[in-house]
Amino acid sequence: MTAAADAPARPRRRRFDLDRTLNTLAAWVLALMWILPLAFAIWTAIHPSAYEARFELLAPLTFENFEKAWGAAPFARYFLNTFMLVTLILAGQFLLCTLAAYAFARFTFPGRSILFTLVLLQLLVMPDILIVENYKTMRILGLVDTIPAIALPYIASGFGIFLLRQTFMTVPRELDEAARIEGSSILGILWRVYIPLAKPTYLAYGLVSVSHHWNNFLWPLIVTNSVDTRPVTVGLSVFSAIDSGIEWSVINAATLMTSGPLLIAFLLFQRQFVQSFMRAGIK
Amino acid sequence: MLKSMLMKAVATATLSTGLALGTWASAQAVELQFFFPVAVGGKAAETIQALTDEYVANNPDVKIDAVYSGSYQDTIAKVITASRGGTPPQLSMALSADMFTLIDEDLIVPFDDYLKSDEDKAWLEGFYPAFMENSQTGGKTYGIPFQRSTPVMYWNKEAFKEAGLDPETPPATWEELVEFGKKLTKKDANGNVTQWGVRIPSSGFPYWLFQGLTTQNDVILANSEGNKTNFDDPKVAEALQYMVDLSTKHGVMEPGIIEWGATPKAFFERQTAIMWTTTGNLTNVRDNAPFEFGVGMLPANKRRGAPTGGGNFYLFKGASEEQLTAAADFVKWITGPEQAAKWTIATGYVAPRPDAWETEAMKTYAADFPPATVARDQLEFAVAELSTYQNQRVTTIFNDALAAAITGQKDAATALKDAQAQADAILAEYR
Repeated sequence: MTAAADAPARPRRRRFDLDRTLNTLAAWVLALMWILPLAFAIWTAIHPSAYEARFELLAPLTFENFEKAWGAAPFARYFLNTFMLVTLILAGQFLLCTLAAYAFARFTFPGRSILFTLVLLQLLVMPDILIVENYKTMRILGLVDTIPAIALPYIASGFGIFLLRQTFMTVPRELDEAARIEGSSILGILWRVYIPLAKPTYLAYGLVSVSHHWNNFLWPLIVTNSVDTRPVTVGLSVFSAIDSGIEWSVINAATLMTSGPLLIAFLLFQRQFVQSFMRAGIK
Repeated sequence: MLKSMLMKAVATATLSTGLALGTWASAQAVELQFFFPVAVGGKAAETIQALTDEYVANNPDVKIDAVYSGSYQDTIAKVITASRGGTPPQLSMALSADMFTLIDEDLIVPFDDYLKSDEDKAWLEGFYPAFMENSQTGGKTYGIPFQRSTPVMYWNKEAFKEAGLDPETPPATWEELVEFGKKLTKKDANGNVTQWGVRIPSSGFPYWLFQGLTTQNDVILANSEGNKTNFDDPKVAEALQYMVDLSTKHGVMEPGIIEWGATPKAFFERQTAIMWTTTGNLTNVRDNAPFEFGVGMLPANKRRGAPTGGGNFYLFKGASEEQLTAAADFVKWITGPEQAAKWTIATGYVAPRPDAWETEAMKTYAADFPPATVARDQLEFAVAELSTYQNQRVTTIFNDALAAAITGQKDAATALKDAQAQADAILAEYR
């Protein structure tokens, strides 16, 4: 420590520069590797299928792949369903997780630690194992083949409760007590003190949740039967037809189409997302 | 006053009875749920939906809810979950190779109880025997063939001409495949191969095309009870050695695991002059190959041979007698000549009964596009797709053994011997 501090300034700056160059280089390499599949998808989607495996700068542009993909399934309806689904899940998760996290963070009641352990245990259970049990529950509730049936198993999210509880724990008690002295009710404190301070966490969690449920496939496929309830991922699966050979250009057009809204949303809110991730400590 | 009230009451009562009767009658319409997987893209799903709608329009007392259920694997997951969850479909299409799995899970009922008349029995006899091999077991019929396929050989006629071969004559034997393959393999100035002679894809489910080779070598991979495999037979090892030799010894096939999904594309791009793949690809190749191509049976060794593949109709437990009778009637209708012809023309799958090939539509189609009949003619030499109890596990073991031999991690005989030992351990309890 002291040796480093005593060392002359010049070599330290040079070391610092080398570090920086390496960091920048690594960032570029990683960024290129990340963008490459997307670039390939865009390239194949806007060119005729003959150019799938060949790169020619002046290859003719076409919109035909998108038309073909759009016509292969009722995507307009599927988009509406997916939109309703992620909205329902997110609203349910915010409501339930906020209340549960508040209780775990600021109240003492008998069995609190056991209950919290049970919530954490949920993180260890793969949702796919529970498919049959969840299906039975949905049948008893008479909800098979409805959008709530896709959403319900995910609303009591252990991850969401844990994340919000940790955030609420970092809120200084003084703020809580000050609000109490001002005469705020218990729910009023939650609404005026805790939730505003946890905004970055909500944003980060919301993004993770929306993108996860936007892309979920197996459970929606199993619990739904009709066009009126199925999300875009089920529509997308029509293209993974192995018997007839894979048409990359159409698949990529369809993939871009279905993931487009998410990509656009991310690009628009990129700064807020990155900041909220840093503040919320999810990396 | 009183009288008019009474009249009104009577009128209302009559009306409501009438209404009640009306709803009762429509409630009596048998409702069926029918899951179908699709392995050949959007057109197959449309055709199934259109055929189902046509049936419902002609049979107002039956309502069929046709549900697209993803790939074959997704369908099995959906069917098992729905059955365990208490709402099984009445009818579903699933892989013919999954018959033993479905019996083992106790989910399906045989068709025999709903096909009692002599006419029905005669109808059952009318399917190609090769397709019935993995639709029947223990004297009962559990599956009715519909979405069925078999692998065939496609070749590029232009490449044949360039290599000095007769473009109308495909290789007929294993030796010819090697000999033609050597002539067809082209290298550039640096010694890199630009066009391979032959391409037998080996990714995902290599056992299926490999079963073509074992059948040609006159050996069957599993018994018809589905409880004993034959992986360590020397003839199986010989077939695997031949497949490996195509790359390593003869240099006519790309070494390593060859991607299934990319195979038609490689054929169109002239990266290979011959490819083996399913007849389900026929429409795709016809639409997209930028050169003249031929379709032929797989080459023979000790005999000709190929596996069958694809999906059957199954009836599920938990449905009422009326539902199952209606489901069996629907299956009888959809496998009928005109319907099967429409299906074959739209998708390239092989119509499961000879009578479909006698229809005008099929005759016109076959005259216009003779390769369509190759798969049908090959059925004479076809055998059941590898299918056992615990099918997923057993085929995975076998696939791993094939991959180990193809990538050179193990020699053919050792890999197969290990696979047989593992399969025995799983299947012992079913004997």
